Amino acid sequence: MFARLAFRNVKRQIGNYLIYFLTVTLTVALMFAVNNLIFSSELKRFSDMNQSLKDGLILMSMFIALIVSFVLGYATSFMLKLRKREFGTCLTMGMTRKNILSIFVLETMIMSIAALIIGIILGLFIYQGVMAVFSNLLEIEFEFSAYSSKGLAFTIVLVCIIFLLASVTSAVYLKRVSIYNLIYGEKKVEKGVRYPALWWLVAIFSFAGLLFCMYYFNKGLDLSYTDLDRSSRNIFGSLAGVAVCLVLFHIGMARSAVHLFMKNKRFCCRGTNTFTVRQLSGKLGSNSVIIGILAFLIGFAVVLVNVTFIQKVSERVELDKRYPFDINAAVQRDNNQAIPISDGIRIIEKYRKINTSIEYQTYYNGSDYFYGFTPWSGEGYEGITDVYMKESDYNNLMEALGRERIECGDGFYLLASSPHIAQFDFSKAVIEQEGKEYHYLGIIEDAPFNYWGYFIVLVPDRLVSSMEVESDCAAIDLENGSFDVRSMNDELSYVYDQTGNDEFAYYRSDFDIKEYVRVSRNETSAVLVVGAIYMAVIFVFLAMAVLALKTLAGLSEDKRKYEVLFRLGTGERQQEKTLFCQIFSFFFLPFALPLLLSIPTSCFCAKIMHMAGHEGHLKEIYFNTGMIAVVLTVVYLLYFLATYLISKRNTVYRI
Amino acid sequence: MNQILEVKNVTKYYGNGSIVTKALDGISFSVEEEDFTAIMGASGSGKSTLLNVIATIDKVSAGDILIEGRNLADMREEQLSGFRRDKLGFIFQEYNLLDTLTIGENITLPLNLKKVDAETTAGELNRVAEALGVADQIGKFPYELSGGQRQRAACARAIITNPALILADEPTGALDSANSRNLMKTFVQMNRSLGSTILMVTHDAVVGSYAKRVLFLKDGKIWSEILRGERSRQEMYQEILSVMSALGGDTDVC
Repeated sequence: MFARLAFRNVKRQIGNYLIYFLTVTLTVALMFAVNNLIFSSELKRFSDMNQSLKDGLILMSMFIALIVSFVLGYATSFMLKLRKREFGTCLTMGMTRKNILSIFVLETMIMSIAALIIGIILGLFIYQGVMAVFSNLLEIEFEFSAYSSKGLAFTIVLVCIIFLLASVTSAVYLKRVSIYNLIYGEKKVEKGVRYPALWWLVAIFSFAGLLFCMYYFNKGLDLSYTDLDRSSRNIFGSLAGVAVCLVLFHIGMARSAVHLFMKNKRFCCRGTNTFTVRQLSGKLGSNSVIIGILAFLIGFAVVLVNVTFIQKVSERVELDKRYPFDINAAVQRDNNQAIPISDGIRIIEKYRKINTSIEYQTYYNGSDYFYGFTPWSGEGYEGITDVYMKESDYNNLMEALGRERIECGDGFYLLASSPHIAQFDFSKAVIEQEGKEYHYLGIIEDAPFNYWGYFIVLVPDRLVSSMEVESDCAAIDLENGSFDVRSMNDELSYVYDQTGNDEFAYYRSDFDIKEYVRVSRNETSAVLVVGAIYMAVIFVFLAMAVLALKTLAGLSEDKRKYEVLFRLGTGERQQEKTLFCQIFSFFFLPFALPLLLSIPTSCFCAKIMHMAGHEGHLKEIYFNTGMIAVVLTVVYLLYFLATYLISKRNTVYRI
Repeated sequence: MNQILEVKNVTKYYGNGSIVTKALDGISFSVEEEDFTAIMGASGSGKSTLLNVIATIDKVSAGDILIEGRNLADMREEQLSGFRRDKLGFIFQEYNLLDTLTIGENITLPLNLKKVDAETTAGELNRVAEALGVADQIGKFPYELSGGQRQRAACARAIITNPALILADEPTGALDSANSRNLMKTFVQMNRSLGSTILMVTHDAVVGSYAKRVLFLKDGKIWSEILRGERSRQEMYQEILSVMSALGGDTDVC
């Protein structure tokens, strides 16, 4: 009997459940797609996705399932409250709470199963879309991707967990609520917020805190080259601060903003403004915490997607800049386990014909004189020594790249790995040799090879005559065409054991293959990009679904109020306008500031790019940020519009 | 006296196809300024339908309704909204105060809809709140008031715009007898002191006895009419009871 009743109820309530159902379905579809990706055999074939990355994705999927179950549990209890009068009446007729819970859980189960089936069908297509994006990011040709039974099982398990947690929320509510509250609860008036002035102060201080955290974050970025410990403290501290301030700001605003409007008598006596503000007052006041959480979720989504996209741009730019040659080798002289340059070249030739190979050396004299001009000298930095390079070697590389030569004359340059090095004053640095002084000529940021370290001193050839060779190096350009880059890298790698203790041994290659770096980075960034987009989409969906459900849950009560407005002479158009303002303000509050976070996020990303010396790509960053904001706004507006239209159809009173 | 309301041969059908109910059957009557008219009748006699078509929240199938000489049938939807706002005042059985608004905000809502400035609004609020004895309650929310107080607040809201006609639909329906009496005294006060024209639907003979004139409806038609004239309220009450017993006796009389 209960099953039949539950089926009938679902059919009857389909209008109310629509947004809930759509959200669960889309969430299931996305979960299915991402879980298939995690367990995809194709992915295993094409990429070296390591276990920790895979574990990370599984954890992320479970974390998201937990958040989804929290939000959907909240949404389910809403659906329950929407029908509390009905359930209250059933209780007075002699049904037990267990009976009511069984009916409601059955209804939720019917919807969850329907959402699971439709979600999985939808997910079959979304998965192919995700794989197409993934293939594009990995730069491999997209082929139809097989589905994973593990992915399907994992999705079903997660949906079951979500369903169970959501049911527990309903059970707890039904167990505690009194019959009186079920029947007359909807008539209960939402009481006004206490201490609105205090909450206004909370909002102001949180906003100030938000700005301060951004300033602190900026400072953290500035310190990133000089004081890594302080920098990471600043950066992580300020990020946590931003999250807390964002939540508090929205709680404060939700509890105080409406009261500010109420103070303005001129505003209140115009049309239905008082009505709108009072409608919002109750809703915002009692939902302030969830509004804070939603703002955080949307803000997190905005920042996450921006940072991921920018990381992708930065990686591409960095690769071209740091690897002007196809292969860059640097074999330290004192490393007797290393593969010598000549052997390496023989291995490379097995895979691809070499077009150009320029061999050169770097030198050292055991001194850290130049590091003395930076914070990286003295205690804790023992072992760091200056490295030198001959002017002629540098010019050979520049010539091969078709770039301009440089003349050291009676001076020297610093080849810097980052423009940040320019902040240190080397103007007093002098090299003395054979009674002659060589002075500092400036910093060169455009190095023709990738190297580990902060800088190399570029000197006239004669200055290195008394120094020892630090490394044998080679810049190699290969003939165009594809080759098995993984095998080449494997063959050029060896086990390096500096201490003679196996515990610290690791696999290492002194031959940096541009293509290998690109492919490896693509794999990581593809997983990060897809993961970030997945997380962001789920968070935005959930935020919008909660707002929509909150609005729709109050429809029956709103309908009565709009009928009164109609009788008092409020025309259809004005009712629509009032309803629009009411719903828009409710939707707008948790969305506006997180969306505006796009501006500081893009500024910080631009700064990071600038610090890494990629000024030429700032436009791309602003474009990405703009596009993300536009897409988010469009999706948000669609949800808002759907909610508004459903509300309008049910609320606006007309003859 | 000016004629405020003129109902001419009004007919109203509900339903379509083979199932059609005739709720009003060619009703005609008029109401003059400062009149206090009650409409009585059994359940299903068409009282509420008549009030709804006069209130412009339902449309007639045939006939005309004129308020201050303006035919409602000639007005478009937006004009009707403005008309309701400016010319009509409503008092409902369930008070229909908005529970999210304070009593003061509820009373001034019609003035806000007319975009009257804040100063005038405050003055008018004081005037009607004093007149109806709710001046001490304007800062409270509806749930903090008794049923009688709420209904007085609804009366204040109905008269704050000085409407041409106040329409009351079973205004004492949710009140006990003491509060019903008090409310009716308020209606009489509104009618006499403030010059309000009232058209009230009720099925309660005691409530009807406060009116200057009572129209009895049966099967969608005006069956009878009583004018109070110089008679006392008690005499009016007895007259109503006798008409009701002649009418069929299926309405409440206590």
